[in-house]
Amino acid sequence: MSLKLRRRREMRAALLLTGPFVIVFIVFFLYPTLRVVTMSFTNAALIGGGDWIGFDNYAKLLKDKLFYTSLWNNFYFVLLTVIPTTVIALLIALAVNKLRGRVQALVLTLFFLPYVLPVSVVTMIWAWMLDFQFGILQPLIETVTGRPIAVFKDPNWVMPMIAVVTVWWTNGFNVLLFIAGLRNIPPDLYEAAALDGATAWQRFARVTWPLLWPVTALVLTLQLILQLKLFDQVYLLSKGGPFNQSYVVLMQMYREAFQLNNGGYASAIAMVLFITIVIVSVLQFQLLRIGGRK
Amino acid sequence: MTATGVHLEGVTKSFGAVDVIGGVDMQIGKGEFAVFVGPSGCGKSTLLRMIAGLEDTTSGSIHIGARDVTHEDPAKREVAMVFQSYALYPHLSVFENMAFSLRLARRPRKEVEEKVNRAAGILQLTDHLHKKPAQLSGGQRQRVAIGRAIVRAPEVFLFDEPLSNLDAELRVQMRLELARLHKALGTTMIYVTHDQVEAMTLADKIFVLKSGMVQQAGAPLDLYDDPVNRFVAGFIGSPGMNFLEATVSAHDTDGIRARPKGQPDLDLSVPITSRPAIDSAISLGMRPEHLTLTDGPGLQVTVDVAEELGGISYQYGALQDGSPVIFQQVGARHGLRGTVQNLLPEPGRIFAFDAGGQRVR
Ligand SMILES: Nc1ncnc2c1ncn2[C@@H]1O[C@H](COP(=O)(O)OP(=O)(O)O)[C@@H](O)[C@H]1O
Ligand SMILES: [Mg+2]
Repeated sequence: MSLKLRRRREMRAALLLTGPFVIVFIVFFLYPTLRVVTMSFTNAALIGGGDWIGFDNYAKLLKDKLFYTSLWNNFYFVLLTVIPTTVIALLIALAVNKLRGRVQALVLTLFFLPYVLPVSVVTMIWAWMLDFQFGILQPLIETVTGRPIAVFKDPNWVMPMIAVVTVWWTNGFNVLLFIAGLRNIPPDLYEAAALDGATAWQRFARVTWPLLWPVTALVLTLQLILQLKLFDQVYLLSKGGPFNQSYVVLMQMYREAFQLNNGGYASAIAMVLFITIVIVSVLQFQLLRIGGRK
Repeated sequence: MTATGVHLEGVTKSFGAVDVIGGVDMQIGKGEFAVFVGPSGCGKSTLLRMIAGLEDTTSGSIHIGARDVTHEDPAKREVAMVFQSYALYPHLSVFENMAFSLRLARRPRKEVEEKVNRAAGILQLTDHLHKKPAQLSGGQRQRVAIGRAIVRAPEVFLFDEPLSNLDAELRVQMRLELARLHKALGTTMIYVTHDQVEAMTLADKIFVLKSGMVQQAGAPLDLYDDPVNRFVAGFIGSPGMNFLEATVSAHDTDGIRARPKGQPDLDLSVPITSRPAIDSAISLGMRPEHLTLTDGPGLQVTVDVAEELGGISYQYGALQDGSPVIFQQVGARHGLRGTVQNLLPEPGRIFAFDAGGQRVR
């Protein structure tokens, strides 16, 4: 009897605690997701129903040149950001980890500061710094190329520059993850390695790197997912141009849904991107785990 | 000087404004098993880490053999250290942990296998070489840490409280193994512990430290028989020595007579050659194992707790003024609890200390 009563009381507490989340999750995530899935098989506009057309949207997508351009740009962007940001974050974390006390906290704050800025502010800052006429970074570009460049209007420069902005913006978080990982490595191990005759490089290669690998794998995977979802920076800095050189999948989805009112087709694009992200990130994580075990 | 294993001269260490080691001189002979013992925070680990080169030496010099290593890199000192935490590389197998230094030095594979297998044989780790440290018990991890040191064939082994993470039974077992290992290898070893039993059982030479100063150095039984001050007297021996405040009541041919506080009828004979002034205050030290029951006059102790160990028992009690007294009894079940007993120290087994804690001889 009392056991039953206790069970019931525990059940009530569990429901009370999880209930709000479950409701929000169903209403704002699960239901819309299911709607997108069904919508991708219809020719619906953004609002109001449509007719079931089976896989027609997907078939159309496979013949859509812009989709391939966008997808390619997505992967180009991943290439430009994921590994560079991981390497940069690791280097910064290693340097910051050498500092002590308040200086360390201060430097860490400085590196983390961009991360708290909203994307619109970030793009504003960089648009201003890279402005063709007045940008304070143009002299720097000029010394390299010999002439000022409107980077967000130049097909060769646009993606790398969006990558630079993105790395600058999001790097602080990765630094933080690496710092946490580094703090988890007992200092004794370095002392033991030093006594064993390890040079600074050998201590990094044989102690730090292998013990930091789980964090590195996490950073790489999080970055991969995040960067495949690229939209804001492109929308705010280049609108996909010039000549679709910075068009990405989410940009295309946005255009189809909110500018051309093709709800069904946009849903199909969203679904394909979703599946791509799932496959790529699972694949990567598995690969990294195998790499870590060796 | 070449016969010396490790030689420290005027060694000091400050962390910022805090002086942790205040001028240490020591001679540790080649092949000797030296133990640094002292209470927590007295600077034992710091001193050991200075010998290893993991801490800078503020002033003074450290020699290993004939080499001045005071400002040498840790790797070049030819010392190996076993950490309290074992400091095993968690991502490497037992074999690779032990082979680590050889791999760094790019030794040929045959040599690596030979050396690691030999060390594993000595330490009974042969069956565990492929395991990761996380799959081992505490005692086995300890052995791996020792194995890693053996493989390097250093001139000096350094141990920083290596047994303190083990349970009591394993600790005794590993203590014996360490003693055997030292016999087998014959290498100089320096061992840090706060446990005086470990120090007594393992050491050829004990250095008792307090507040960064060596209080006394010597063979275990020399420290036990002849402590230079009240600190060493109290630290060496288990249970600790009893201390009673007393006043000098008379001088005689064998030494002095001293009257413990609160025991007006009792004059104890203290065999010392110096003659502190009559009525001056001294402390008397008596070990629990040197107090015996007597029918005549003696220290009147009310016993309140008995610790029965089987072969012997320790009786805990207090004098009338509340000063605690411990004495040892051979055998068991004496039934002394709640009784008042008269105790006298064995003749000659009584130490005198002045107000500053220095031994009066
Ligand atoms: N890196 C350090 N910075 C400042 N003080 C330290 C440092 N390491 C140790 N100390 C201080 O030095 C004293 C001795 O420490 P330690 O050698 O670890 O003592 P033990 O090993 O005898 O317990 C302690 O008071 C400790 O607080
Ligand atoms: Mg210590």
